[in-house]
Amino acid sequence: MDVFGTFALILAFVCAVYAFGGGIAAIITRHPLLIKSTRQAGMATCCLIFLATFSLEYLFFSDNFSIAYVVSHSNRDLSTFYKLAALWSGQEGSLLFWSFLLSIYVFSVLITYRNKNGELMPYVGVVMAGVQIFFLTLNNFVASPFKALASPGADGVMNYVARADGNGLTPLLQYPEMVIHPPNLYSGYTGFTIPFAFALGALLARYPGEKWIHLTRKWTMIAWMFQSAGILLGAHWAYAVLGWGGYWGWDPVENASFLPWLTGTAFLHSVMMQEKRGMMKVWNVWLVFCTFLLCILGTFLTRSGIVSSVHAFAQSSIGSWFVGFLALIIIVCFGAYLKNRDYLKSENQLDSIVSRESSFLFNNLILLVSCIAILSGTLFPVFSEWITGNRISVGAPFFNKVNIPIGLLLLFLTGVGPLLAWRKTSTESMKRNFGGPLVIGVVAGLIALIFGFREIYSWVCLILCVFVASTVGLEFYRGAKVIRARSGASFMASAVDLTMRNTRRYGGYIVHMGMVFVFIGLAGASFNRDLQKDMQQGDTMQIGPYTLLLQGFDTRPEKNYTAQRMLVEVLRDKKPLMMLYPEKRRFATTTENGTMVAIYSTLKEDLYVVYAGTSPDTQLPVLHAYLNPLVKWLWLGGAVVVMGTMVALLPNRRAVLVLSGAQQPAAQPLTHGLTPSPSVTLREGHD
Amino acid sequence: MTKKARPIAAITMLAMFAVTLLLITPLGAQQLSDRAKQVGGKFMCMCSCSQVLTECNHVGCTTSAAMLKELDRSLARGDSEDAITQMFVQEFGTKVYAEPPKSGFSLVAWALPSIYLFVGTGLVVFVISRWRKRPAHQAAPAGGAPGISAEMLERARAQASRETQD
Repeated sequence: MDVFGTFALILAFVCAVYAFGGGIAAIITRHPLLIKSTRQAGMATCCLIFLATFSLEYLFFSDNFSIAYVVSHSNRDLSTFYKLAALWSGQEGSLLFWSFLLSIYVFSVLITYRNKNGELMPYVGVVMAGVQIFFLTLNNFVASPFKALASPGADGVMNYVARADGNGLTPLLQYPEMVIHPPNLYSGYTGFTIPFAFALGALLARYPGEKWIHLTRKWTMIAWMFQSAGILLGAHWAYAVLGWGGYWGWDPVENASFLPWLTGTAFLHSVMMQEKRGMMKVWNVWLVFCTFLLCILGTFLTRSGIVSSVHAFAQSSIGSWFVGFLALIIIVCFGAYLKNRDYLKSENQLDSIVSRESSFLFNNLILLVSCIAILSGTLFPVFSEWITGNRISVGAPFFNKVNIPIGLLLLFLTGVGPLLAWRKTSTESMKRNFGGPLVIGVVAGLIALIFGFREIYSWVCLILCVFVASTVGLEFYRGAKVIRARSGASFMASAVDLTMRNTRRYGGYIVHMGMVFVFIGLAGASFNRDLQKDMQQGDTMQIGPYTLLLQGFDTRPEKNYTAQRMLVEVLRDKKPLMMLYPEKRRFATTTENGTMVAIYSTLKEDLYVVYAGTSPDTQLPVLHAYLNPLVKWLWLGGAVVVMGTMVALLPNRRAVLVLSGAQQPAAQPLTHGLTPSPSVTLREGHD
Repeated sequence: MTKKARPIAAITMLAMFAVTLLLITPLGAQQLSDRAKQVGGKFMCMCSCSQVLTECNHVGCTTSAAMLKELDRSLARGDSEDAITQMFVQEFGTKVYAEPPKSGFSLVAWALPSIYLFVGTGLVVFVISRWRKRPAHQAAPAGGAPGISAEMLERARAQASRETQD
């Protein structure tokens, strides 16, 4: 199967080269058969990558320990669930997985537009094939996942060998989220290739109008949704596995995943300026270019070892390939822009500073400032070492200080932006839309002060959350009320109907509501507290309203590891509430231990309990308990963001005008020079 | 929203907020070890996990335990924060800082975000002022196009404006 996989990858590379070279020839000659054959070569590339990926998975499931990658990341006792995830647990496999996900997108695009946009698609196909060639080069010639184990024999000839068992999967990766977090995040990274291909293709083809924007919108949203879900799932993995009580440490690899999300978010907003007003064409094209560049940069940071991170792959020489690819993309993008920049001339004209257009400009400014600040902070240790010889770390405190005010500004715009009108917002409209929410927000702030809130950022954050939630709530309320008055349906049904009539608008509001939940979760972090104690059986620990009683220990042998558990009874007001079982896992295949945190999670707070090892002083087991308020809102917010994006991807269902010719009385003479006026009937339908 | 419904909606929202607030009111006094936490929060764990010293508790990390013990001893001796910082910097180099010190080349790290914000804001203000000075699209001739009355044109504009509100 390894030979099959290797062969499939080589063939995929050949097909991708043909799709690229043939695509360029097709653009020049406009020969229909050549266009068709290069498109089919693109599809064949994807099918061959699918086959190679399935081959590697087969090698994992069949415990083929003659393959180096399988030996390094699996063992016989590893559960089926994690054998699936082992594919992306190392450098070589994750690069193949990258190619696999990219090929799903490429295949979908080629199939969807096979008979459409004939002028644009050859260009898009060439760009997609170019990106595929890069990753297939890595898969074939730099980091092949199909390398067989071999050792020199007595005669000096290399002989294939097979191991009895593998080294197993890193304990940190043996957690359910590691099965779904990387696919989500990679789907985000790879998904941004599609808007990039359309943007570059449209620029190269000088494709008229804003159609490329319409074509890429849903692909961008899909990639953005996966990126959002991937980031939050990664945060949840860090929270539940690393055992430090937090979910976001501004680690370079975490930052790398956040950067394209920021520019992607900026693009999703500013693209509306181009759709509605024909503005910001240059900006939008460069936002897409930058988002894709940041995806590749993030991959470079994760895989090159240039920055240290607990999430990074082992240091390798692969970084230079990514640097080369980044340089090539920049050259191509600049070249295309300089050659065809006149194509991007916009009709930029602003009627008023208090308008939707201005809010989008400021939204983009804040997102971009945040992005560049995070990027420069992440790379500062590298630059400081180059310039001064000393590596100066930039950790979480720096990023928090810089990004919290920026985040709050963004939250404010989340509430304000959508309610400003295009072109100009009247004072009356401002009063109507913002008066109520502003008063509610201010009163909420005063109540917060009375309740003893003294954390300034959390206080401001809560005021803004109330303000934004009120503006979004009022928008739904007003729209649903109108529909309810007409249809007589229930308020909930009217709200659903309203949402389905303009999915993009109300899906966007749902996403904004999700972001409010995320911010509520983040605001709670100011009130985190923790307590650590050496515990004997029968000892108790008090944290907040909870009493933790250590009832004892047990050992639970599992197939791939042995779990040592603390049996912790949780009491509240002296009444038993529940049992928690924080555990340490010892794996047979590695000397590394794993941790499994026990969490009692409510909307109010998380009681987070870690079995933190043995105290070197007392030789007693250590229990580390955290009380983290509002964390659940963060995950809830993530789910709402994903839901809102899905709603925004749905087609609108709205009242459409259906014109039908009215029956004219035979005797009635037609007015000279005029056609009979049609009668208009209102009918529900999808557009 | 009707005038009658407004206060009800406002009270409901405030009540919801008050309940949320009750849920997250600060939970009382902090632990005594907070001094160590506060000082330890200024250093990175040197196990290459990229986490702040007091937050590193990842599997198998012995470095953070040793560093925290050293920190505890220093605090027990009554060492000042500066002395503790010097001690860690001598031992591990400048990469032990959790955030760049506000001196020398490290100041660049602090200055950059503000520079981005100021330059960016300046650019946006410049762009807005330029776009505002541009003349609007050439106005339609008086009375509108042949066959289209000024009133119809105005209505169409109003409708377009409504329909483009996303």
